[in-house]
Amino acid sequence: MNKILKIQNLTKNFGNVSAVSNISIEVEEGTIHSIIGPNGAGKSTFFNMISGVIPPSDGYVYYKDKDITGFESYKLPHMGIAKCFQITNVFPKLTVKENVWASIFSCSHKSKIDLFKSMNDFEAIDKETKKIVSDVGLSHKIDDKAEELSHGQQRMLEMAITLGAKPDLLLLDEPTQGLAPEATVEMTELIRQLSKKYTILLIEHKMHIVMEISKIITVLNFGEKIEEGSPNKIKNSKKVQDAYLGRK
Amino acid sequence: MTFLIISQILNGLGLGMLYALVGVGLTLILGVLNIPNFAHGVLYALGAYFAYTIAKITGSFYFAMFLSPLLVVLVGFILESQGVRRLYHAHHDYQLLFLFACALIIQEIIIIFWGPIGFSLLAPPSLSGAIDLGFLIYPKYRLVLICFAFFMIICLYLFLTKTNLGAILRAGIENRDMVKVLGINVNMVFLYTFGLGAYLAGLAGALSAPIMGLTPSMGLDILPICFVVVVVAGLGSIPGAIIAGILIGLSQGAATIWFPEATNVVIYVMMGLTIIFRPQGLFGVR
Amino acid sequence: MIQNKYSFIALIIFLFVGPFLFPNATITEMLIFGIVAISTNIMLGYTGMLSFGQALFFGTSAYISGLMLLGGFPLFLAIPVATLGSFIISLFVGYFCVKREGLYFICLTFAFNQMFYFIAYVWTEVTGGEDGLVGVERPTYIDSQLTFYIFTAIMFLLAVLALYKIVTSPLGLIFKLIRENASRAEAIGYNVRYYKLISFSIASTFTGLAGSLYVLIHSMVPIDQIHWLKSGDIIFMTLFGGVGSFLGPLIGVVGYIWLSDTFSIIWARWPLIMGVIFAIVVLYFRGGMSELLENLFKKYKAISRKTEHEQDIKNTKLN
Repeated sequence: MNKILKIQNLTKNFGNVSAVSNISIEVEEGTIHSIIGPNGAGKSTFFNMISGVIPPSDGYVYYKDKDITGFESYKLPHMGIAKCFQITNVFPKLTVKENVWASIFSCSHKSKIDLFKSMNDFEAIDKETKKIVSDVGLSHKIDDKAEELSHGQQRMLEMAITLGAKPDLLLLDEPTQGLAPEATVEMTELIRQLSKKYTILLIEHKMHIVMEISKIITVLNFGEKIEEGSPNKIKNSKKVQDAYLGRK
Repeated sequence: MTFLIISQILNGLGLGMLYALVGVGLTLILGVLNIPNFAHGVLYALGAYFAYTIAKITGSFYFAMFLSPLLVVLVGFILESQGVRRLYHAHHDYQLLFLFACALIIQEIIIIFWGPIGFSLLAPPSLSGAIDLGFLIYPKYRLVLICFAFFMIICLYLFLTKTNLGAILRAGIENRDMVKVLGINVNMVFLYTFGLGAYLAGLAGALSAPIMGLTPSMGLDILPICFVVVVVAGLGSIPGAIIAGILIGLSQGAATIWFPEATNVVIYVMMGLTIIFRPQGLFGVR
Repeated sequence: MIQNKYSFIALIIFLFVGPFLFPNATITEMLIFGIVAISTNIMLGYTGMLSFGQALFFGTSAYISGLMLLGGFPLFLAIPVATLGSFIISLFVGYFCVKREGLYFICLTFAFNQMFYFIAYVWTEVTGGEDGLVGVERPTYIDSQLTFYIFTAIMFLLAVLALYKIVTSPLGLIFKLIRENASRAEAIGYNVRYYKLISFSIASTFTGLAGSLYVLIHSMVPIDQIHWLKSGDIIFMTLFGGVGSFLGPLIGVVGYIWLSDTFSIIWARWPLIMGVIFAIVVLYFRGGMSELLENLFKKYKAISRKTEHEQDIKNTKLN
């Protein structure tokens, strides 16, 4: 299979402390690849380096065989990488429609002249906005402001904004964080649906979700990769059990 | 020529000490309260005018230098507790605009009480006249000013590094949320910080009066210089503010020798060079 | 949308009634600062950037257009050149300023403002220094009060329409994204710094356009038009009107200029009163006049609805 994302020896040092050291993974196209690990394992730092929020100290990130190491985060959506945040991160005073519309517009407008046209001149974007909003089940709220939505709905909106970029690769940072059990099930189902269309790199804390939907799992502990393989392999790995139980 | 250069450098040093004092005051408020204090300039002016009036009434220059900054602290307390504090929950832009409004108000009050025409405050006989340094004859007051301001900066440094309150203030600049988490009364910390900033502004104003005189616009003129000090220093750096203040004073002194008409522009040249070659400021980390 | 329609109708009515309410110099000044405030709001209200250096562009452009008119160039060359000049300066100044956020941005714009002020102050041969640039003459075809007013009103309308076009375009939406959540805007693919620079430039260029017209009112450029206090005034006007709506700042401009004209006749220390009003607005009416009017309107509606309702009850009782 085609490897869409290759990460080689990625390292981040803060002073003398290394938060992530020497991690290499390869993400296969069309699969869900999960990164798990106990709190403080370096998952977020790892994620932020891939998504261009913090520059790595060492190592490379290749996307479709192109070196994208340390690219500013605004460039990634234009290449087909979109990310979804751990904390709900939407545009609170704007409507659901505007939230999603802006995301689609970002990657689909071709010339600078489009910036100055009227908002009504973009039928294709309007249509797509409606489709994505209905995909995440928010059609009835399309003209409401994001801040008026419930927490679960905001998470769905967050997902819709991410999908608006029409990505090939989705970076999801703990998408079920802070969700009620029913909403977690809903979100898990949505991720499973999405995996038919997109390659997904999932950072997750909740073991059972990861086991259920991933094809490959990478386990981090203390900033290092300690195990990698299918859910079955991870389930039976002594190293992983030790890490989660705090034995060393 | 050497005499001229040395005396101008000393002049610049004196000026730089004053800039350092106001600059540190502004930096403290900026760092801890997270607002640029647009009323800083008028607090500086108030320091000078209070000193003038106190000296006139009591006849004691030293007493004026002592009391005037304390009165400015009082004004600072009023500004913080009656206005700025009410706006903590609004966007910090509004605190800035409130202070700007206060600057306009105090500016006009100065003109109402002291008149639109400037005047001078003379140093007392014990400090006036010149002193022979062997290689140079230099005004006594300016020399005392340099030494005294230097002494105050040392005191400030000791206060910030050796006392508990100083440690809290420094912690506040590093990480404001931390101070809240530690269970310290944030309102008090903000009040004291604003008071200390006001004290430094008032003191600098009072000290400047015998060399630069008093004009109603002195507050409006010093404010942009304070901001340049902060930009050159790097936002929130106290040692940076001290050094940047002195550097700017020195460069103004040097400009007086060679390009007397450019003394006001030279500080902006300094700023321009800083943001081109070291955008985070001399001592800035962010 | 409907609200905007009403505001625009009100604006047109104001343009016709204004000259009868205020002296010629006052009403033209209102329109000119109207351009300034509405364009500043693109940056302040829409993008969420507080610049304390807008007088830089207003003043510089006024100097350029004044100097060109003095040099014998026609007005229709002076205005575009001055506007273009402030556009170029805004790119230069903005490039350094938008790299920094929040407080640093404020400090930098403020310091740049004062840098240009001192250049104008020192460069006496060109700018007239402290005395300002004097002796600029209005071209004969707009020499009368009526023609000058019509000319200003047309320039004003064109600027307002252009700005309205911008806020209702995708660009306007992007500005709002940055105000609401800059890091998310970055994550969905917008180069925030670049768009901040555009916003800064748009505001500054239109402010420059206004500056190039300002020179015509009193046939001179006083140096305080480039002083940082003027930048404060510009922000005050914008905020006084309200940053929540497109035309809101215009209410602030009309109010500010009317108040300062009135008070300056009564008392030489009138800035004191303006300062007090400014402080009150910041402390108690942060939404500005436009929000105040809106709330009053809503309250009035609620009351009238209530009285209607009571009337209904009375009627039913009577029946």
